[in-house]
Amino acid sequence: MIKLPQIHIGKLSLLLAILVWLAMLFVNLVRLFGSINEMNSGIAIEFTWILQTAFYLTVYGFYKYSIAKNTQNDFLNLIWRGASTGIFAVAVYIIIDLFIGSLGESKLARDPFLGIFFHHVRFGLLTIFLISTALLWQHLILYQKTKRVVKQWQAFEITMLIGMFLVFFDRGDYDYPFFFGFALLGILSVILSTNLKWIPYLTFKEKWKSLLFLAIIISCIGYLLWYSFSREFERNYPIILTGYLFLTSLFWFVLVYAVLSFLVTLFNLPTSSVFEQKLTEAINFQRLSQSIKPEENEEQVLDILMDSCMSAAYADAAWLAMSNEEFPDGVIQERFIDRKTRKEVLELIQQQKPAQEWAAEKPTDNLNPISLRINHSKFESVLLVPLVINKSVIGKIVLCKEVRDGFNKEMLNIISTFARQACIAVENHRLLNQAILNERYQEELKIAQRVQKSLLPTKLDHNQSFDICAFSNAADEVGGDYYDTYQLDEDRFVLIIGDVSGKGTSAAFHMSEMKGIFQSLIQLNLSPSDFMVKANSALSRCLERNHFITASIFVINTAKQSICHSRAGHVPTLFHQEKLHKSAFLEIDGLGLGILRNMQYEKHVEEKTFTYQAGDVLLLFTDGIVEAKNEKSQQFGYERIRTLLEVYHELNPLEIQTKIIDSLHAFVGGDRLIDDDYSIMVVKFANQNKDS
Amino acid sequence: MLKIETQQENGHDILLLQGEVDASNSVILDEAITKMVTDGCRSILVDGSGLEYISSAGLGVFMSYLEDFQEKEIDLKIYSLSDRVFEVFRILGLDQLIRIYPDKKTALSS
Repeated sequence: MIKLPQIHIGKLSLLLAILVWLAMLFVNLVRLFGSINEMNSGIAIEFTWILQTAFYLTVYGFYKYSIAKNTQNDFLNLIWRGASTGIFAVAVYIIIDLFIGSLGESKLARDPFLGIFFHHVRFGLLTIFLISTALLWQHLILYQKTKRVVKQWQAFEITMLIGMFLVFFDRGDYDYPFFFGFALLGILSVILSTNLKWIPYLTFKEKWKSLLFLAIIISCIGYLLWYSFSREFERNYPIILTGYLFLTSLFWFVLVYAVLSFLVTLFNLPTSSVFEQKLTEAINFQRLSQSIKPEENEEQVLDILMDSCMSAAYADAAWLAMSNEEFPDGVIQERFIDRKTRKEVLELIQQQKPAQEWAAEKPTDNLNPISLRINHSKFESVLLVPLVINKSVIGKIVLCKEVRDGFNKEMLNIISTFARQACIAVENHRLLNQAILNERYQEELKIAQRVQKSLLPTKLDHNQSFDICAFSNAADEVGGDYYDTYQLDEDRFVLIIGDVSGKGTSAAFHMSEMKGIFQSLIQLNLSPSDFMVKANSALSRCLERNHFITASIFVINTAKQSICHSRAGHVPTLFHQEKLHKSAFLEIDGLGLGILRNMQYEKHVEEKTFTYQAGDVLLLFTDGIVEAKNEKSQQFGYERIRTLLEVYHELNPLEIQTKIIDSLHAFVGGDRLIDDDYSIMVVKFANQNKDS
Repeated sequence: MLKIETQQENGHDILLLQGEVDASNSVILDEAITKMVTDGCRSILVDGSGLEYISSAGLGVFMSYLEDFQEKEIDLKIYSLSDRVFEVFRILGLDQLIRIYPDKKTALSS
């Protein structure tokens, strides 16, 4: 595909405009030549009009493009462009007149061809000035676009376009069609000229500048108007290009808008500072609400807040005092005030009763700024602005003014809004940081959870004489329950279940200690009670004073079908005897580990040995099960678990375990969580002679 | 929920516990006992009639004072525990270390 070179509209229309202007000059010179020499040049006056209209359109095209491209919203630039074009046009007018004047009464001065040439130059400049200015005005009018204004402008443009062609029908007579058209366009111009919304956005200085430029434009229009409608007519050229409806209406529009803008700007001057102030406040507000990004810090927000408050209140001095524990020495920012003066003013404030009451006020949610009079050599009024985050006052800004009662209601309102916004920004920032931190903790806890899970055995030691399964669940991410197994020799297996007092992270640490102690002590081939004594001695050196561990240990001898058992404060173990069709708790005394941290402990631990038969079930568990509560605050209790074992003892260990956990959940209630760690271990003895 | 009240009676300091002692409020119990010790009381009676539940963390509080009381010769007696709460003390073996009585009268007379 051939790619067409991009057509440069601006350059193209400029070129066309020049060509059209030259063509018009040529045509009119030929016509003049014809009329002077009284011969028909064969060129009708319509040619002039066509070229004139074409010239308008090309100039319009050029400016439409170049203004749209160059200046976006800079009003002063726009107005300056109009003013400079005006100055240029007027200067050229004057130079031409001076040039003709310098020729004096010579023949050349009265040469009709030269006259026509200059007339064409003036016409061109006038057209350029009027059309460019009209388009600049369009930008100003459409600064705040509404559908209505856009429609009005379109109507104006279309009427202007029609007006351009009127000359073909009324042949340049100033008759009814002209007056009708002029009245219509005149009214439209006035309506459009009421759109002056750009003016308030100028600063005070800009307003002065724009007044100057508008004055220049108005004088230029005045001069050109006078020149076009008196001097040009006086000269009695055979061909008059200026005049007609289009240019006359354009004159009117450009003039009306310039005059109105001038007047409105002039009258806006005294109030412009208020508008500027409001605009600054709005911008400050936006800065405050956007200012904190996670990586930024709060001080930047407080900085902006200080600036905003000071500018909103026209304060002469200010300081910021933080009062919470995060800033023990009180981060203090001072603006236009030294330490000594600040202390003096602070003392004066603290002496005042309203200030004391204000500082003691609770709740702090709706604490508003308070303004006070003080008797200080420099400052006569102060405003206290509280910074309230999460219902607590984290600090205050003190604004000082050298005049008495320097803070009005508007200032108080805007400042308290600023302060609230800033506090919200700070609070959000803190919450975000906290959320990030929490997320990290969550990650850490997940790791802890994984590590702890790995501390519990995945494979439980046993042989074919018994079957075993176990389960543990922590109330929090990590818990303090522990179970483990160990194979001493071919026939002897050790089972342990333990529970660390408390729950959560601290319990989890002690649980891992327990695992270490079990795994090291058990290799010494100790009897259950000796194991407990040694474990108590070891744990006494590891546990905090108010922590203890309960445990039950079982040494199963499958050759002798006996179990040797010791209990250290742990919840009793259930034993189901198939022969008696009965489940019962094993009765044995024993003190928890870490309670008595001396040799006295030996007296508080026992050891019992009993035998088992095939089909018997040993059920080890932790207090989380019996102490689990339902919504009526009833405990699951020992009797319930005992009955369950009696009912389900014929099932295999995993099924028994599942039944008990299911009943536990059913008891507690479907949605409620069991708020303690719980563990369970089920051992079922098989018929040893089954294989042989 | 745990409510703690202290009373003084004939040289005994009585600690009335009402509600449940668990990990979340065992600190309050600990503070109450510490205060009694620093106030220099010689005999502490714990009235457990209103105690509905005590968790291992709560037991840990009593346990942590055992040696301290022995050294300073402070008497600690607990009475009027409900069966359920007494069972918790008993299972852990604390009934062998702390003197627990069925009611106030027996606690005072022994």
